[in-house]
Amino acid sequence: MIRKKAGMDTEILHQVKYEPAGVVGGYTDRILRVDLSKQKIAVQELPPDFKDKYVGGRGYALKLIWDDTTADTRYDSPDNILAMASGPLGNEPGFPGTGKFIVGTISPLTDTFIDSNVGGHFGPLLKLAGFDALAVSGISKKDVVVLIDGDAGTVSIAAAPAYDKEIDSGALSFGRRLLSDINGGEFSDSFAAVTAGGGASHARFGIVNSLYFDRRRNRIRSKQAGRGGTGTVMRYKRLRAIAVHSSLPRANGNNAVNREGVREAGSQLKEVVSQSDPKQLNLEAWGTTILSEYMDKFHLLPINNYQYGQSPESAQLFARVFYEKYFSKKMPDGCYYGCNLACAKGAEDVELTRGPRAGQKVSIDGPEYETVAAVSCLGIFDPHFVMEYNWYCDEYGLDTISTGVTIAFFMECFQRGFLTARDIGYELKFGDMEAAGRLLHEIARGEGFGKIAGQGVARGKNWVAGKYAARTRTPEQAALAELNKFGMEVKGLEFSMYVTKESLAQQGGYGFALKGPQHDEAWLIFIDQVHKELPTFEHKANALKWFPLIRTWFNATGLCKLPWIDVRNPAAAGTSEPAKNLPTLAHYVKYLNSTTGSNKTLEDVLDDSERLYILQKLINLRQGKGTRASDRIPLRAMGPAFLNEYESRAEYYEKWLQEKLGDGESLPSSPEQRHKLLIDRRMQAYQQLCDIVYEKKGFTSEGIPKRETVQKFGLLDKQADRLLARFGV
Amino acid sequence: MKKVISIEFFGMQRAVTKTDSICMPVTENMKVTDALEYVRNRYPSLPLDKGMVLITVNQEMVSPDTVLKADDTVLFLPYISGG
Repeated sequence: MIRKKAGMDTEILHQVKYEPAGVVGGYTDRILRVDLSKQKIAVQELPPDFKDKYVGGRGYALKLIWDDTTADTRYDSPDNILAMASGPLGNEPGFPGTGKFIVGTISPLTDTFIDSNVGGHFGPLLKLAGFDALAVSGISKKDVVVLIDGDAGTVSIAAAPAYDKEIDSGALSFGRRLLSDINGGEFSDSFAAVTAGGGASHARFGIVNSLYFDRRRNRIRSKQAGRGGTGTVMRYKRLRAIAVHSSLPRANGNNAVNREGVREAGSQLKEVVSQSDPKQLNLEAWGTTILSEYMDKFHLLPINNYQYGQSPESAQLFARVFYEKYFSKKMPDGCYYGCNLACAKGAEDVELTRGPRAGQKVSIDGPEYETVAAVSCLGIFDPHFVMEYNWYCDEYGLDTISTGVTIAFFMECFQRGFLTARDIGYELKFGDMEAAGRLLHEIARGEGFGKIAGQGVARGKNWVAGKYAARTRTPEQAALAELNKFGMEVKGLEFSMYVTKESLAQQGGYGFALKGPQHDEAWLIFIDQVHKELPTFEHKANALKWFPLIRTWFNATGLCKLPWIDVRNPAAAGTSEPAKNLPTLAHYVKYLNSTTGSNKTLEDVLDDSERLYILQKLINLRQGKGTRASDRIPLRAMGPAFLNEYESRAEYYEKWLQEKLGDGESLPSSPEQRHKLLIDRRMQAYQQLCDIVYEKKGFTSEGIPKRETVQKFGLLDKQADRLLARFGV
Repeated sequence: MKKVISIEFFGMQRAVTKTDSICMPVTENMKVTDALEYVRNRYPSLPLDKGMVLITVNQEMVSPDTVLKADDTVLFLPYISGG
């Protein structure tokens, strides 16, 4: 039961009592609804077929958004829903990677559905407290917290406790204090919370932090739902935190139909992970920072806003640096119980040397590869800067990816003369740690140039175009066309941290991703660029259909993808498509069937995912992000946008061009002409890819789902019918 | 001048070998399997089991019977699929 610490200043504004539903076969069949405008709390019972159709996690969030929002809903609309949901397979310590839940909403960056998956204990505890999902709507008149107590059977909306300015504005600080205060001044792993920091009020790329107590480290740790501005939505609703409590045991937390089957599937997957990871990426020791050096080697590490993929300075950001200087070693670091991949690395007692908290020692969770690469994107190769950037972004509640890509975009605007020091207030050069740090803090405070930068790349492009046009008397559209070449966003979301210039398949992986260019739909760079397993458009298109579907399933079920996708089962070598890692997926299908009592094949699982995928596509269509035009990618994603990038790898590009032209045709004489020819070829290839992929996915050539595709998955309700008719389908 | 290929080590491999790369003398018709054998003999504790890593030459995946030539760069690459 929640025990308020003496002196904790929290007024309960509204409370309801409920009888927590037990979990059966992975589900409680209930959604907790909280309306902050009306201060109303309700428990929604789900019909029996709901889970069959929408699975869980992302599927539940999609259905809530589809039914309860409209084309006019924006991130700050009262009817926007902030959904949090695990899935039927979340919460099983006998199986690796089951602490995931998703946070889904209408994004302030993309104006359409976004979700972000995140680890920790919040999803499992929410389910144990009796809810498959939580849906928050409305906007509170004052700052509040929501407290869900599964032991007491109460859900409360309470006034947000006021501590001091520093704690109140910090996502980590506030969450840590709250988690202690609601448990009589102690931390416990039966409590978890999600929080949004003060920085999320000033930027469109605010995150939701997921906080949980790590018994081994004896401290509160955090994971982040980082993409698309979910924290901005939470903060706009004046919802500072949601805390959940349940002291029910985690073992067999899903009350599996076939407990022995779950045990077998879990021990089989754990065996694969323990045998293979130490011989492969060794994520258990290095975390995802290990990717930096491989990305650098293959020209995939974004440097100076993705202009380059490799740098002589990159070695300062390789895993060994973080391992030796920062990570607490020999520590099992799973973000949920039972995960033996244990990749959630962290550090304690790191002294901040910059920014408003300089001199303080802090605990840092991370860095992940994406954060490291967000810093290389700024042309900065200082590992301590990475640690500080990681901590400040988490504390402020900002996405390390979008923050990095946005600052990098403005750095390039400065480099190329689209912005001046007068526009920004200071010089903003690649590699300048002081300037980058200053802008980060300005974004978090909503001050100075930070007010502009906090809007993200898509809106930033328009602002810069206006400034540049006024200063140089250039037509604004012409300026915008130049900025579109290197503004690294699609649908309004900033790219995640991979250079895609040499992988057409991954250009599609980012361009077609329904939420925008985040790699959790498809990461095909190596199988395309290195393994050469996707030699034709047909191969690429098949991969661009299959991988997003299986990855969608992970986001619907409450699972982490890493034990499947980043630990190759040696048995996969004997299969026709090793990259799919099918022997490992067999363990997942067994886990699903044993938990829920279903009898599904992998094909059934993919069909379930495709239903969710099509539903998400319909939402995109309704929100104005669902046609071919929305899948356009910036020139830099396809190849060297400017001559300096071309010249940095001229030999490579000339070889590529010569192969395309064949022996009978010679290269143009000047580098400028060669560069143009290369770009023409790349743009043509991307358009050709669009045609084939749309056909594979059951879309029209404009990227709109065909009526029979929607009907096939039982999604042709009245809203879908009207929507498709509006698009002439 | 003696003809050599370069064999590079990354991540955990570097921790075992304690070096970024080594050179291996290359003769005519020497194959990738020869490079693999060379590394196995020099670093018996380095895990290079079949199915655990793939082999690239000059950043492209190759089969074990690919013939090596001077100045090639060999890498034992773990499977990376983007998280």
